[in-house]
Amino acid sequence: MPPIIDPTKCTGCGVCVDVCSEDVFFGSKKGKVPVVTYPEFCVHFNCCAYECPEEGAIKVRIPLPLQLLYKGGDR
Amino acid sequence: MENGALSEELIQTDVLCIGGGIAGLMAAIRAGELGAKVVVAEKGNTLHSGRGRAGNDHFWCYIPEVHGADMELFLKDCLKGPKLKLMQAGTSMSVLRTFLEKSFDIVKLWDSWGIPMKYQGRWEFAGHSFHGDVLTHLKYEGLKQKTVLTERAMEKKVEIMNRVMIFDLLRNKDGVIGAIGIHTREDKIIVLQAKAVILGTGFVDRLYPPSVPGWLASVAGSLTLTGDGRAMTYRAGAELVGPEIPRRHVGPRYFARYGQATWVGVLRDTHGKPIGPYVTKPDKRYGDMTPEVKGVLLEDYMKSGKGPAYMDCRGISDEDYEYMMHWLVHEGNSSLIDHMKEEGIDLRKNPVEFGTYQMVPEGKIWINEKAETSIKGLYAAGDESMGGIGPSASYGWIAGESAATYAKEAPAPKIEKTRAEIEERKNLVGEMRTRKQGPDWKEANIALQQIMQDYAGPVRSEVLLEAGLSYVQRLKKKVATTMVAQNQWELTRCLETLNLLDLGELVFIAANERKETRGLHNRPDYPLTDPMLEGKGLFVKQVRGEPVLEWRKIA
Ligand SMILES: Cc1cc2nc3c(=O)[nH]c(=O)nc-3n(C[C@H](O)[C@H](O)[C@H](O)COP(=O)(O)OP(=O)(O)OC[C@H]3O[C@@H](n4cnc5c(N)ncnc54)[C@H](O)[C@@H]3O)c2cc1C
Ligand code: SF4
Ligand code: SF4
Repeated sequence: MPPIIDPTKCTGCGVCVDVCSEDVFFGSKKGKVPVVTYPEFCVHFNCCAYECPEEGAIKVRIPLPLQLLYKGGDR
Repeated sequence: MENGALSEELIQTDVLCIGGGIAGLMAAIRAGELGAKVVVAEKGNTLHSGRGRAGNDHFWCYIPEVHGADMELFLKDCLKGPKLKLMQAGTSMSVLRTFLEKSFDIVKLWDSWGIPMKYQGRWEFAGHSFHGDVLTHLKYEGLKQKTVLTERAMEKKVEIMNRVMIFDLLRNKDGVIGAIGIHTREDKIIVLQAKAVILGTGFVDRLYPPSVPGWLASVAGSLTLTGDGRAMTYRAGAELVGPEIPRRHVGPRYFARYGQATWVGVLRDTHGKPIGPYVTKPDKRYGDMTPEVKGVLLEDYMKSGKGPAYMDCRGISDEDYEYMMHWLVHEGNSSLIDHMKEEGIDLRKNPVEFGTYQMVPEGKIWINEKAETSIKGLYAAGDESMGGIGPSASYGWIAGESAATYAKEAPAPKIEKTRAEIEERKNLVGEMRTRKQGPDWKEANIALQQIMQDYAGPVRSEVLLEAGLSYVQRLKKKVATTMVAQNQWELTRCLETLNLLDLGELVFIAANERKETRGLHNRPDYPLTDPMLEGKGLFVKQVRGEPVLEWRKIA
């Protein structure tokens, strides 16, 4: 469920916790890998990922019910 | 938390901006620049909050060198467009004119602050317009706008208080003198004393069921935008206009996103036939205006069995494809692009299904050209009084100017005189935090959403609206005495839900009064559009605890 943090890359700097306006990481402690307390309230605007200083430490996964519906390229 | 004891913090300022979105920050910058002491109370973090949190790309504005010297003609042309016409219903012509006159100055300011307003060195206009018609929206690179505005506000010595949700205004008999809020993380009540208050709390995103049933955050905007400003304003006795008018947006089905005008493609049915008459091939200058004319068409297609409608970008030139992808990022759609990459969706090959999103009430806080509401010392700007980024930025600026000027002369407010009101609100939140059992905010919010959808949704009639109103009122009573918040995050959601309940009630009351069918306000019991209501707005305000309605001409 969104967002996903890679604990091997995350330094626990807390920047994502700071910028998430939905406060999906409510209750997280600085210095530790953030906890995703309210995953279903993520609105997927990537703001945490934009601000994370560690390449690839956080990404936003789109949950199944929200995934795009599309047609194959054949006409 | 023990005994419901929230500590209290008192803050004093000249100007209080509630909400640090586009309008709120612009207001704060301007008021700060004019020498006022300014506090911004923001429930999230101004760096990434509100509907501009991850960028926008269309800025409605009037640039004489592009549009010609006749602003009146331009305004007339703008209001021909169905989107702007609807968005600005409930806004007076003098406010619209004041905005347009100001807009180019704001464009130049933003550009000088480092929000790129030019594309390849020129003013680039595209989208939201029909072929052959005037182009109304400037393309701009809004991705970093919130960072720029936040830094600018700090330069002007504005105090930004993030994680503070304001939930009521405090007033004396003359006007507004402050507001009360909670910290969204710490067990704290915040009382703010201010000579002038500017509301910039944005949209109402959680009143109707969103695109994915049961997934409250599947909104195109924000989970935390719940019309708080409108609800507070109403409770404080100021006028709202048009809460009964619904709007519906269109975009990728289920993955709700704004930015329909950023897509370069044609909306086609499943057989490849365009569903509207406006475009037959992708054109970067003019997107498909069909959803702006009738967004609900896509839902009608599904309901009638015609099947899904697709945004079809096939046949797009390489250059236009790059153009679209560039702007989608600035329009806050980068996660959508990441998702497409991961799933192997290529817009040059794969048409993506579009759908009609949930209803949002258009109802606004009534302002005059100085951004004054009908209560002294209270100003409003942005989505809650006049939608879109250009109007939000421009009117935020104007509100900041008016509030700072007013605050210079205003007497020092005596907030302690409102002690009884403060205590009453402290009790309300204290009780929610200490109750052990009862429904949480989510239960209350979903219960409200289903009543809104089924009784004041796509079909409205006197019997439906009367039944719905009594259900919402009953729900409201129950929720007020039973809702439980385990922590400050939940308490924030609870207070938002209480605001939504107030706004929901207003939708019912006003929708029943509008005895006609107009746009999406569909009354089978009054199927005609009443010509006598043309150009009129339905105003509502609270007098001695009761809503009072009045039809007035919007000039
Ligand atoms: C993805 C996306 C793309 C868009 N693209 C465009 C576009 O290209 N062109 C265009 O014209 N419009 C666009 N819009 C709409 C545009 O973003 C809004 O019109 C604009 O942001 C409104 O500004 P605002 O200041 O009124 O509200 P917002 O920018 O939404 O800010 C409201 C602020 O108030 C805060 N707040 C709310 N309630 C409280 C409270 N009780 N206490 C404290 N703080 C509170 C919120 O956290 C938020 O920071 C887009 C919207 C989205 C979501
Ligand atoms: S994508 Fe946005 S809402 Fe989701 S966790 Fe990141 S910052 Fe929060
Ligand atoms: S911003 Fe990145 S590194 Fe910092 S806590 Fe979040 S995920 Fe970890």
